[in-house]
Formats: sequence, C-alpha cells, structure tokens
Amino acid sequence: MKYILLMTGTRGGVDTYRTWSKQDIDAHMAVLQSLNKELKNSGEFVVTQGLAGPEEAKLVRGEKNGAPVTDGIFPESKEFLLGYWIVDVATPERAYAIAGRISTAPGPGGVPTNMPIEVRRFAEHAPRES
Amino acid sequence: MKFILMMSAPKENWDSFAKWSKQDLERNAAFMRAFNQELRDSGIFVASEGLGWPNEARLIRARNDGEPITDGVFPESKEFLAGYWIIDVESPEQAYRLAARASAAPGPGGKPGNIPIEVRQVLSGFSDLGL
Repeated sequence: MKYILLMTGTRGGVDTYRTWSKQDIDAHMAVLQSLNKELKNSGEFVVTQGLAGPEEAKLVRGEKNGAPVTDGIFPESKEFLLGYWIVDVATPERAYAIAGRISTAPGPGGVPTNMPIEVRRFAEHAPRES
Repeated sequence: MKFILMMSAPKENWDSFAKWSKQDLERNAAFMRAFNQELRDSGIFVASEGLGWPNEARLIRARNDGEPITDGVFPESKEFLAGYWIIDVESPEQAYRLAARASAAPGPGGKPGNIPIEVRQVLSGFSDLGL
C-alpha cells in the first residue's frame, strides 16, 4: 500500500525555520537523510521531494478561454506543503510509525520539532508513477 | 524546472463529488486520462496520483519515546489534497497554463470545475537548499 506523508507549515513557520543555525539545519537534514537511507534499505522508499518556498506559490484557475488566472494571495493560516515522502508499506500503522520518526527530527538545539505529518493513502485507481 | 500542481478541497466538496452521476464522473475521468496522455506524449509528465478519502487521513506526531500519536481530527476548513501532477517544464508560465487546463476539468453537467490549482516548484535535492 502506498502512502504519502505530507509535511506542511504556515508562512510564519517557514520564516522561523529560516532563522535556524546552520548546525541545527545540518542536524535536522542528517536525521532525515538517515531515515531515507533506512527506508531505501527496507525497500519501502518510493520518493521524497522538498518544495520551494511559499512566496513562490501560485493559485491558478482557468479563464473561459482557457488562459490561466494566477494569484499568489493566500490566507495567513494557509498550510503550505514543505515536502513529502511516498512510502510503500505493508500496513497503515507502518506509515504512521515512519511519520512519527519524521516528526521527531531535531529542531533548534536538537529538540524534536514534533511537527504534525499528514498521512494519506493513494487511491487505487490512480495512474502510477512513470 | 519541476513543478507540482496540487488539487485540494475541503471535506464538503468531497461529499458533493461522491454524489456526482456516473456520467459526470466518467466525463471527468476521460478528461484526466486525455490530459495525462498529452503530458506523457509531450515528455513533461513525471508523476500523478490521486489520494484516498479525507476520512482516512491521519495527522501524526511523535511521543517523547518516538511512538506515533495518531489523530484524525481536522478543522472544518481543512483543504485535503485530492491529487497532484508533477511536470517537468521550461518555465513557470507553462506550468500555470497546464494548471489552468486541469482547473477546467469538467464537473457536473460538463461545466468546468474551475477548481483552483496550487502550483509549486519542486526542488531537485538538498543542493537546492544549499546543503
């Protein structure tokens, strides 16, 4: 079963992250990289991606003639996707356990960020990764 | 440049979608298949997935001992990701044009759904973050 683990944050959260020291960022990334390696070794890893900052995010609708209408204005409370993992696991509980591990990745001073991670199953009818 | 096009909706819209007629669902699915095929044929398709229903969504935090704490309670206004496309295009503008196409996917009675599509650049690795 494939699950996507979504890490999101508000613009305020992203601004705070940008004030982290290099040491704190390195420690955070080292834990995530080590988790990625572990998932690759267990055969559960599908893909992980980080997204560019919220200031570049655009909301698009189509006009009647199909031309895009672009808007970059979001509510203050908007949760922006920061990054995600796709894992192929035997049970939902295993997906929750991996999400828990991501949530314990260290923040400033090595204290776990305790960020909430949203876990969603892929619909079975969906087109597969190319 | 890689971009992710995200289609999201609050739970009430999912409930409405569940009530679409078979004909409306088929028309929407046919549009999506043709759109994906066009992306594949033009070599810009990277991936696309649809997600399971919001009632299965869980929010996970870690306890101090690392055990997951699972919660399925979300605010009423929560926008649930319904599905996404990842495309590899030449410019943000090309990504916006394709997002507008996806936004025009037919809804009930064949009228364009006009769902807003969030467009975000996907980073290719930690190097993009300067790490």
